[in-house]
Amino acid sequence: MSFLVLDNLQKSFGAVQVVKDFNMSIDKGEFVSFLGPSGCGKTTVLRMIAGFETPSGGTISINGKDQNRLKTNQRNIGMVFQAYALFPNMNVFDNVAFGLKVAGTPKAEIQARVKEMLALIRLEHLADRYPYQMSGGQQQRVALARALAPKPQLLLLDEPLSALDAKIRISLREEIRQIQRQLGITTVFVTHDQEEALSISDRIVVMNAGRADQIGTPSEIYNRPATRFVASFVGTLNMIDATVEDPAARTVRIGDQVIALREMPGSHKAGDPILLALRPEAGSLSSTGDSRLQGEVISSSFLGSVVRTKIAVGANAVSFDTFNAPDLTMPTPGEKVTLNFSSQDLLVVRD
Amino acid sequence: MSIGARIIGWAVLIFGLLYFFIPLGGLFEFSLKARRGVYSFDAYREVFADPQFQATFTYSVVMALVTIAIGILIVVPTAFWVRLKMPWARPYVEFVTLLPLVIPAIVIVFGYIRLYNTSSWLPLTGSVFGTNALLAFGYTTLALPYMYRAVDTGLRTIDVATLTEAAQSLGAGWFTILRRVILPNVVPAVLSGAFLTFAIVIGEFTLAALLDRPAFGPYLQRIGANKAYEPFALSVIAFAITWGCLGLIQIVSRFSKAAPSRI
Repeated sequence: MSFLVLDNLQKSFGAVQVVKDFNMSIDKGEFVSFLGPSGCGKTTVLRMIAGFETPSGGTISINGKDQNRLKTNQRNIGMVFQAYALFPNMNVFDNVAFGLKVAGTPKAEIQARVKEMLALIRLEHLADRYPYQMSGGQQQRVALARALAPKPQLLLLDEPLSALDAKIRISLREEIRQIQRQLGITTVFVTHDQEEALSISDRIVVMNAGRADQIGTPSEIYNRPATRFVASFVGTLNMIDATVEDPAARTVRIGDQVIALREMPGSHKAGDPILLALRPEAGSLSSTGDSRLQGEVISSSFLGSVVRTKIAVGANAVSFDTFNAPDLTMPTPGEKVTLNFSSQDLLVVRD
Repeated sequence: MSIGARIIGWAVLIFGLLYFFIPLGGLFEFSLKARRGVYSFDAYREVFADPQFQATFTYSVVMALVTIAIGILIVVPTAFWVRLKMPWARPYVEFVTLLPLVIPAIVIVFGYIRLYNTSSWLPLTGSVFGTNALLAFGYTTLALPYMYRAVDTGLRTIDVATLTEAAQSLGAGWFTILRRVILPNVVPAVLSGAFLTFAIVIGEFTLAALLDRPAFGPYLQRIGANKAYEPFALSVIAFAITWGCLGLIQIVSRFSKAAPSRI
């Protein structure tokens, strides 16, 4: 049975509807990310789950229990904020102990639990430090321990890594995932960083303008984007405008070249515009795959492990990556090249 | 900065300091002249030996502490709530807290006497305790502009909304949030408001005189009307107390900078 159920959730601020008909079921122990640009409503959904915002419509239930009437402090939810939000007047120990003290836990039990939590985040040695004496990464780990200490039924993470620098961000996200697995706690993670969402989640919800555009595993989201928005937001994707040449033969025209698709949605007629997508890593200059497109090199940039080359195919610019090698000669602008790829990598995207 | 501007700057500063210190120097010098021909602390000895001085001063100190307590109880939750839930109401609340600066204390006290006299529905002036309470409320009103501003500034240095949400998600109710999270983080601000309140209450005359309470302000006035040297000694003492308060504010605010409350 689903643990957290969001049913037809809606939220309006005045006349502006920021969350529209949001439906989702999350299983116990699952790690789900809400991914989307700022203003897409992902944080609002999270804040409604936490009880900071009241839904304009729909219900939220956790473990079969309706949460709409419960105040935040009755929901037993752990939350981690982007700005850490540690209590500046308390040291690490008291911060982590706060939730337990509020709940009236006996002293000895608090001691043991805080110790356990600090061991989990490997900061036992900093129990006496105050927030301002610690780095951002350390503060956020303390915030995580503080959220987990009262054994919440649900953990909510509101862009917890956004304020940290790149290296810490990666190590901390791995740590969060490892702790989440260890405790088996159901987690909702809000982020605008697609790499973060892809690397950490069991499932991802890609949100756009208050709606869930696609819900799926990271690989589904990346490899089979359902909409143009998902395709463009997750990863770098070449969008190719084409027209249907012959629906029966599944052929499309790109500029003056005609290629065949693996499959074609039934509703298309000859001459209809169709949007195709191709990942840069799917293309290659060596003759592999069953499809090819001719083009002229616009630019080629060296990115370290890969070389990204942009070519013009008709009116479209198509980028593709080749792995770097010491003896690689970079394509020069103006050069005519043939891009090879497998037809199964060419996706049809709905608008 | 050019030399000319620097010289003008110093000149202005020195002029300001002289403007302030010369009368004060005269005051102090005169207070030492109780014995003919020599400087002495006779006037100060007189003042400190006067049981009236001790009684009225103690009374005012106690009143100041009571006022500070009432002020904190009213102002901290109000400023917190305005910041958190009703930011649109801030200009109005600020306007209300500024009113005591515009409305003379005499108006306030006459209003009190009319409203709470012995033939009213709440005859506060009918008992000593009631009158004391009325006086404390009056002082709280007078101190409101300073207290509110200080606390509001203090709240600005912390992320009130997020800290509140963090505490809520950990199960805390409003009372716990105010007592364990908000108040401890605005202590330096509350203290500076408290010291200003203290300074106001110690010297206040109008409210105490018209409510006929044995406070330090009316005592100061009585001595001033009846003695020659003692009032000046008293003035110097009052100055010392006020400056002591201001100095404490400085120390506290510096202390709070050493331990930043910013998250």
